[in-house]
Amino acid sequence: MPPDIADKLLRDLSLGTAWLVVLAAIARASTPIHGYEIARQLADEAPEGLSFKQGTLYPMLRSMEADGLVKSTLVASHEGPARKCFTLTAEGRRVLNAWCETWRSTNKWVNRVLGGIDGTR
Amino acid sequence: MEHAESADAHKVVRLYIAQLALELEGADAALRHDAIIDAEQHLNAAILAGASADVAIVEYGTPVEIARAYLDADSTHRSWRAAPSTASHRTVATPTRRHMHEIPVIGAWFDRRAWGAIAYFGTVGFILSIGYFIWSVAIGSLVIGLAPILIGIPLLVLLLGSARALCLFEGKVVQFFLGVRMPQRTQPIQGADHVGFWQRIWCWLCDVRSWLSLGYLLGNFPVSLVLFIIIAALTASSVMLMSLPFMHFAGAPIAHVDLDSGVNIQAFGETMPDEQGDVRLPLIVSIGLGVIGFLMFTGTLWIARGFGWIYGHVVQAIQVARPQLVTPPRIQ
Repeated sequence: MPPDIADKLLRDLSLGTAWLVVLAAIARASTPIHGYEIARQLADEAPEGLSFKQGTLYPMLRSMEADGLVKSTLVASHEGPARKCFTLTAEGRRVLNAWCETWRSTNKWVNRVLGGIDGTR
Repeated sequence: MEHAESADAHKVVRLYIAQLALELEGADAALRHDAIIDAEQHLNAAILAGASADVAIVEYGTPVEIARAYLDADSTHRSWRAAPSTASHRTVATPTRRHMHEIPVIGAWFDRRAWGAIAYFGTVGFILSIGYFIWSVAIGSLVIGLAPILIGIPLLVLLLGSARALCLFEGKVVQFFLGVRMPQRTQPIQGADHVGFWQRIWCWLCDVRSWLSLGYLLGNFPVSLVLFIIIAALTASSVMLMSLPFMHFAGAPIAHVDLDSGVNIQAFGETMPDEQGDVRLPLIVSIGLGVIGFLMFTGTLWIARGFGWIYGHVVQAIQVARPQLVTPPRIQ
């Protein structure tokens, strides 16, 4: 596969999955969570070999906020200026739940098809 | 030793920020501002958490990658935008509406920003500018008057703080009406994070954006007054002219003259007023003046849009200004 197509497919896949994991990271936090903390958690949990650029998180959060999936509040910090912390809105929770369902069924389907390829190789 | 390492780390971050700004050159100023603030805050937080500047930058992404992420998101995400101004928006607009505002000359009739500018300069902006001016002059006078007995100093801080808050609010209003995007990330006051209360006040007083905001509130009033007069006069005149054909067809006179006054005008081949004292223009004249009114209002929409673009970018420039780091004096 030419590298530019591989790059495009990787970007397409990354965008959808990144939105899902970011929403999930915000949902599981018990208190409003700031961008750096989300990035750190996702980087810590990323599998070996998967490159997650933390800086791509911020335009994503911005889009989510514009879409009404998350809302932000400024929280004072002892370590520096006030930080923008995020929580999920009701709409964000609804989208996350719907997306989780889609992800699980898609995951099952893709694994089944990929299993077929593995068997013939 | 630790101080030297910290200074080196901040130097590396500043270099990264400069490269990111370079990659985003030509992009919208508000987008560039937000990307820079995001990167600055993230990298500083990572360094504070113990990461080295180089590792933090590698994990954050190269300036090229990050600039592309912002530009991609900007081009695909309509709700970031305040106005239908760029090519990317066309992909989501309906086929009928998407080209209407691009029609030469009369496209302004279909441009939300032109109507927004008429509404802003004709009503909202002018009213707000009066309020800002009264507030600034009232508190400013108290500051000058009470400065000798030191009560003026906290009032000055109040004035500058309120000026910054009002300027941020004005940014939101301008974004809504004029379609010029404002930054979403609030820029912290440089140098005020790790110092005490009095030094923080000093940083506030030295921050150029505080004074720019105050200057905006004071200077905005005469500018808004002039713009209000121009827009109101052009709009009223053109609407009046455009209404003439409709008045003719409705049989309504454009004026009524007291017959006892003896006023008698010969115009357009007719005698005015008629025997009831009503002044009516001939059909062809009414239509001609209506067309002139239409062209005049089209010009007004273009003028308002142009004023809106300039005005909006001045407000944007104040909000994205990057002040130099201030070193506050040590207060024992």
